[in-house]
Amino acid sequence: MEFLLENILNLIGFLVGLVIGIMAIIGFRNTGSPTLFRLTIAFFSISLGFFVVWAGYMVEDFVIKSGSIERWVQTLGIAIQTVGYFFIAFSHSIKSFFPKSRYFRSIGVFPLFLISSVQLEHIFRSVSFILLAYGAIETMLSYFENKNKGAISVAVGLALLALGEFLGWYSFVFPESILYSASMTIKIGGLIALFIPVSKVPLTKIKFDEGLE
Amino acid sequence: MAEYRTHMKIIGDILATTRDELQDENGASVTYLIRKANISHSRISRILKTLVSQGLLEQLDTQGSNKYKISQSGREFLQAYYTFTDFADNFGLNI
Repeated sequence: MEFLLENILNLIGFLVGLVIGIMAIIGFRNTGSPTLFRLTIAFFSISLGFFVVWAGYMVEDFVIKSGSIERWVQTLGIAIQTVGYFFIAFSHSIKSFFPKSRYFRSIGVFPLFLISSVQLEHIFRSVSFILLAYGAIETMLSYFENKNKGAISVAVGLALLALGEFLGWYSFVFPESILYSASMTIKIGGLIALFIPVSKVPLTKIKFDEGLE
Repeated sequence: MAEYRTHMKIIGDILATTRDELQDENGASVTYLIRKANISHSRISRILKTLVSQGLLEQLDTQGSNKYKISQSGREFLQAYYTFTDFADNFGLNI
């Protein structure tokens, strides 16, 4: 059951990230917007992260057959996803804190994370949780300003991913409990919520750059 | 408090003005665009020069004064701009 849920989650994550990333890169190529460039990096990273974990499970199931995924593969996939969540949160931090500063936009702002002796995977999961929670709050605040209903769905999606990430991290404490399955189910819900408003963007009206064809 | 506009939004406002609010068929004057887009002369001059060089605006020389009309590429850019503004809005972001 857990294996099935893990595969569904990682495949949905890969596809949702890929589709949103492609839409963002089309937007960047057509408008040159740096925000869309950051979203491109964010969602391609998220997509790649889910793909790495999915590929790890596939290799384990069909080639190695050791009974559990290689730890470093799972850690690598989660780390790549964390990079994606960072760029979503980073876009919000630029909008919220540095709307007029070209200096901060050019150098970027890298938060300082203290690394303890716990496993890297735990660190990435907890960092992902913080970034996702921040992204969800900022997206919800933007809804209060613009009343764009799509922002509610994205905020709920990011919040569910954050909750899923938290439960996934917490399941290390209770490894045999239902927490990990619940975490994956919630994350699947989060990815679907993230995709709903984006699926309504009318790309058919766009005449694409020649370079994209 | 005045709303902060990104560079992209200012470009969108200028193109929308040249598309929707032309004074006459000869295009919009710089003075008209300054008033409508609400930016300084020096800044709009730089932006107009860029937009003309990129083929998004057409510069018309009528009776000794420069006027600007949106080009077909400009219309397509504006369509893309509106589409991806909605896309970014969903994430609570401005393009």
